[in-house]
Amino acid sequence: MIAYIGRRLSILFLILFGSSFLVYNLVAYSGDPTEGLRGNTDPKAIQALRSLIRNLQLDVPPPARYFLWLKKVVLNFDFGTTREGLSVASDLRTAIPTTIRLILMSTIIAIVIGIAFGIISALRQYTRFDYAMTFIAFVLFSLPVFWVAVLLKQFLAVSFNNFLANGQIAIWWIVVASIVSGIFWATIISGSRKRVWQVFGIAAAGSAISLELLSATHWFKHPTLGPVAVGVIGVGIAYGVTYLSVGLQNKQALKSSLAMVVASLVLYFPTQWVLNKEAGIFPTLGLLIFTIALAVVSGLFFSKIDRGPIVRTTVITSFLIGLVIIIDKLMKVWVPYINTDAINGRPIPTISENNSLLPAGNFWFSALDTVLHLTLPTLALSMISFAGYVRYSRGTLLEVLNQDYIRTARAKGLTERTVVMRHAFRNTLIPLTTIVVVDFAAIIGGAIITESVFGWRGMGTLFNQAIRGQDLNLFMGVFLVTATLTVLANLVADLLYSALDPRVRVVAG
Amino acid sequence: MKLPFTKAKKNVDADYASVDIANKEVEGLSQSQIVRRRFFRHRGAMISLFTLGALILFVFSALNNKIGPFGYHGWWHYGIDDQPELISKGCPQYVTGCPTFHWRPGFLGGKNFGFGDHPFGQDDIGRDYFALTMRGAQRSLTVVFIVGLVAGFIGTVVGAISGFYRGWIDAVLMRFTDFIITIPVIVLGSVIGFHFGNLGVSVLAVMLGLFLWTGLSRLVRGEFLKLRELDFVDAARVAGASNRRIIFKHVLPNAVGVIIVSVTLLMSGAILTETALSYLGFGVVAPDVSLGLLISQYQDSFTTRPWLFWWPGLLIVTIALCINFIGDGLRDAFDPRQRRRLSRKDKSSTVTGVKAGH
Amino acid sequence: MANPVLSVKDFTVEFWVDGVWYPAAVDMNFDIEPGKVTAIVGESGSGKSTTAMGIMDLLASNARMSGSVKVKGEEMIGAPKSLLRAFRGKEVAYIFQEPMTALNPVYTVGFQIVETLRSHFDMGPKEARVRAIELLTMVEIPNPEQSFDKYPHQFSGGQRQRAMIAQALACDPALLIADEPTTALDVTVQAEILDLMRGLKDRLNSAILLITHAMGVVADMADDILVMKNGLVVESGTSEEIFYRPQHPYTKELLGAVPKLGSSKQRTLPYSSDARPAPVLKIENVTIEYPKRGRIPAFIAVKDFSLEIFPGEIVGLVGESGSGKTTVGRAAIGLIPIKSGKIEIVGEDISHATQKDLAKIRRHTGIVFQDPASSLNPRLPIGESIGEPIFLAGLAKGDALNKNVEDLLDQVELPRSYRNRYPHELSGGQRQRVGIARALALTPDLLIADEPTSALDVSVQSRFLELLQELQDKLNFACLFISHDLAVVDILSHRIAVMQDGNLVEVGDRDRILRNANDAYTQRLIGAVPVPDPKEQAERRAARLAVSRK
Repeated sequence: MIAYIGRRLSILFLILFGSSFLVYNLVAYSGDPTEGLRGNTDPKAIQALRSLIRNLQLDVPPPARYFLWLKKVVLNFDFGTTREGLSVASDLRTAIPTTIRLILMSTIIAIVIGIAFGIISALRQYTRFDYAMTFIAFVLFSLPVFWVAVLLKQFLAVSFNNFLANGQIAIWWIVVASIVSGIFWATIISGSRKRVWQVFGIAAAGSAISLELLSATHWFKHPTLGPVAVGVIGVGIAYGVTYLSVGLQNKQALKSSLAMVVASLVLYFPTQWVLNKEAGIFPTLGLLIFTIALAVVSGLFFSKIDRGPIVRTTVITSFLIGLVIIIDKLMKVWVPYINTDAINGRPIPTISENNSLLPAGNFWFSALDTVLHLTLPTLALSMISFAGYVRYSRGTLLEVLNQDYIRTARAKGLTERTVVMRHAFRNTLIPLTTIVVVDFAAIIGGAIITESVFGWRGMGTLFNQAIRGQDLNLFMGVFLVTATLTVLANLVADLLYSALDPRVRVVAG
Repeated sequence: MKLPFTKAKKNVDADYASVDIANKEVEGLSQSQIVRRRFFRHRGAMISLFTLGALILFVFSALNNKIGPFGYHGWWHYGIDDQPELISKGCPQYVTGCPTFHWRPGFLGGKNFGFGDHPFGQDDIGRDYFALTMRGAQRSLTVVFIVGLVAGFIGTVVGAISGFYRGWIDAVLMRFTDFIITIPVIVLGSVIGFHFGNLGVSVLAVMLGLFLWTGLSRLVRGEFLKLRELDFVDAARVAGASNRRIIFKHVLPNAVGVIIVSVTLLMSGAILTETALSYLGFGVVAPDVSLGLLISQYQDSFTTRPWLFWWPGLLIVTIALCINFIGDGLRDAFDPRQRRRLSRKDKSSTVTGVKAGH
Repeated sequence: MANPVLSVKDFTVEFWVDGVWYPAAVDMNFDIEPGKVTAIVGESGSGKSTTAMGIMDLLASNARMSGSVKVKGEEMIGAPKSLLRAFRGKEVAYIFQEPMTALNPVYTVGFQIVETLRSHFDMGPKEARVRAIELLTMVEIPNPEQSFDKYPHQFSGGQRQRAMIAQALACDPALLIADEPTTALDVTVQAEILDLMRGLKDRLNSAILLITHAMGVVADMADDILVMKNGLVVESGTSEEIFYRPQHPYTKELLGAVPKLGSSKQRTLPYSSDARPAPVLKIENVTIEYPKRGRIPAFIAVKDFSLEIFPGEIVGLVGESGSGKTTVGRAAIGLIPIKSGKIEIVGEDISHATQKDLAKIRRHTGIVFQDPASSLNPRLPIGESIGEPIFLAGLAKGDALNKNVEDLLDQVELPRSYRNRYPHELSGGQRQRVGIARALALTPDLLIADEPTSALDVSVQSRFLELLQELQDKLNFACLFISHDLAVVDILSHRIAVMQDGNLVEVGDRDRILRNANDAYTQRLIGAVPVPDPKEQAERRAARLAVSRK
């Protein structure tokens, strides 16, 4: 295994070497950084030209200059300086986390929702839901991200901010939303005509009532969950996760998950105290880890046999409940947050990655600020990658469902849930993982547009700046990071592939 | 990480009656007839094909065009260089150049259906926005087709050679594609666009095509690796066929499905790439016009003059959507595995086909 | 009748295609009692598998079933999903044809057995593991403890089928439905699996519904037989009635078409063994290696192999899968390079020939492949496929070429109008005829036939073999006939060569090999072939078991 990874890594370095050489020369020969200064007789310009040539070693021909650059990168981890004389490395240090933050959330959301809808689509092949999903996926697929971004800014951010001014949902909005929700659930459920209408009625009425309630109580102005809502949502999560993970007939898993819901409610107020007192990223993460540890204990306590699946179910449940509690906490700072001068009642921002006018030092303020700044870009990016995942997971699952071993699984008398989740989905994961990982690298490249639209200062912005300014060192610095991520992603994809598929598992040694 | 090629010993004629019966649908048709038939049945693809065709005719016939020594006159009364007077009559306050397109019937207080002088409005300096979007769409469509041709050709050739000859040729070509794949498309496009954008849209498209073939070549290679192991390739070799004949006569026609489908997807990607590049300022540059450029120029006018933003965007989406649906229809047509499902009405149908035992 | 395990009445399965219902199996009526084996035999498309799958509603969603299927008295047609699930695996278990694809590749064999057990019994993982290992021991898988944690791909084909059987028997089902359980296996393995199934059935008193196209397997196993054709049962009765007193013409035709080991006469050549002319094909001490590819190590497929084929002679090359027989066939006409040794065709040395050198021998050779689905280019009309060798040799063009193609189609008894058809419009047997026509287009001196009949139904196969014989009598080419089926080789060959694991085990006149084999492997191979005659097969089985017990 280690030998295999070693060999792959060495190939990886060769590819990086080859492609960086190629790109270095391509960029170096295709433009001249001194273009604006040449032919200028102003002594200052001549001086600037000289120092630029000296600093960037422009007197060395590009192929040779590449090796000078490479030597510094390899030996001292020194990426050189930009043409303004700033360190490329320090530019990268601030840009990388920004970009990662931008794409991580959207990728996770797109994957989870995309795969979920892909699976439902495949299981309901050639139904109205499937056709609708296909159509929506294609539409999303055909949307230019910069166009969507402007629409989102206008319709989501500006309208939502306007709406917050009074916090009342207009009646026609409630009607439309209820009908849409009714249609959505009615198309997912298959069954007799009567059942479809029932589902439609229940879903539409449910949505209408809850929206009206939220509107009447001015919930959007003072959003809050509180222990009761956390409890209700927690029970829902416990049932949902248990159903998907092991099936509801597994009473041990259900008990263990519900125990965690109870535990999180008992610990709700102590948790709030910790989150207020020790506001910060590490205490929050610490609490999350504590929750998961507690979940493991609970899983072990409630299970006698089959501990693995039960512990897994409990851990997923309590992780999700933990997230709900964090959301609850963020909602608690909502009112003070939107009333600060910097926000002035318009919380959804359309530009940049944080609000610099916000009073410093309040962790939950800046956390909420970050989340809100992420909203629009995350929505835009995940809408577009969502489409790809829906199509791909649908196609793969359909292919797997046609395999002989699915028929064997049915012939064994397994429940449909086990056939789909354990036998079909597990095999679907094999090609899906590869795509997801490789895609992740591609999105980093695509960040150049998203960052430009939303005015984030990440790697895309650096790329942009490097290309416009003919700034070779800056360009190569960013390129090296994205290229490394791309080849590493390919390696990870292959390793995951062999971890998931025993047929290609690398033999030890 | 491919599995070793193992040939399962299997009774090929093993009776899965459903398969046999499924073939009844295509009895007596040639391979390409079957594909065509399945494609024509794909409603989304047919609508898209029709829409795209009509759109191309509409867009290219609208304006005066010159290709080398040849040229033709468009049916629209403005060109992109005409600067008629900015009209503010009938527009909201402080807004000029709003669309003259109207449809509200007279009995509702409207002016009935009509285009007016500037159906899409005018830009800041009075140029007709309809003419501008038409030119932008022309540019985008040109890029799409040139990229499709160039990248499709290179990808097919590289993939075919790689997959057919294997060995060191394959290793070299695939390492080369690995190199290119490490560069994100949009970055590559930006570098290209920055330097070639001002040379005109065709040059830009060709340059893009020169780098966008990598995904396709991998697919074609995979298909060739699979096909070259089939018996009919050996049969052709025993019959005395040369490598060239085997590639062009025997393998390539069988890989055509994969190629067409992925070129379509490549083309739908190309329009988004081109518009994104133009949006960033790395693609088509002013004074030329592109849909991406128009959006980028007028995105801030959205609140006051939304039409400047809607039309180019909708055109991009329409073109990309059509190409995607056509690609989907082609994939279904070339991939016979998908079977239609029954509706409840069908389940109780009493129509029966041939009797058993005949 | 006592209490039948399975009782099928007026059972009909139809498929919905393109707006029309096509019947696949019509008005099936039969009962199976505990401990009995009922076989459904028939050729492809007869509806036998469809019937088997339809019993427990395992067909695709475009199928509908009517009539009545009762398992232990419970009606299955229209039964709620929960009842079907409770019966599947527990009362009715399936064994499928292709164990490689029928077992989930990402789970261990042990896990898949445990899963079956635990979904029907209230059983802990430890208990289930013990029971699974017990089952693996029962189906005679070596090292059951270790095998429990192995993945399907780590097993050989026979072991996989044993694991499949272990899984099927996990809940002591009352009825076992075996759909072509041995079709993908070698004869020696097939014999073992059949022995195993017979033993287990007797021990557990299960009923078996056996679906197969192989009459030998039926003769070996069945108590009762249903013969199906195009969705209808044409005849049914006890094994004795069907084999010794068949009534329906189709049954008679089917039985007549099955090649029977040792039923034909030794064919002779016009020259004696000491006055032989120069050989058409001469293979001397050839070793063939598949080179290392990625992490798959190099593999020697054929070791030190020697064989000569003389003009007008048919040499049968038999062996089990992986024995290297196909590799020899391909190397013999230069499709695979050899590592060492020498190959001569009509006096021409092709051991290390380049593409260009090989062009010369192309006129003297032809090849027919195993798989009719992949041996013809799906995008070429068959006339072009057949004419290609003539066209490339520069012998004819245009109308002359068409004339040639028509003559060739006449020779293989296909209508001339088929020239413009595409391969998918032809049946498997017709495609193999096209394959022969193409191979014989240049009237070669040497024909390599690589398992040309293994994918064909028996009746098609018998017609195909007759045709091949007629053509050989007329054109007098030499032929290397590669097959895993001794009965087929028996009909055609002058001499037989036997291969095992890349080695030539023995070679000799047909009669000597079949009746008087020296080598223990050859004897075992011959002993394992089931003959389509219940009484004779019972004797052969007893004899084989007696030998293996010693």
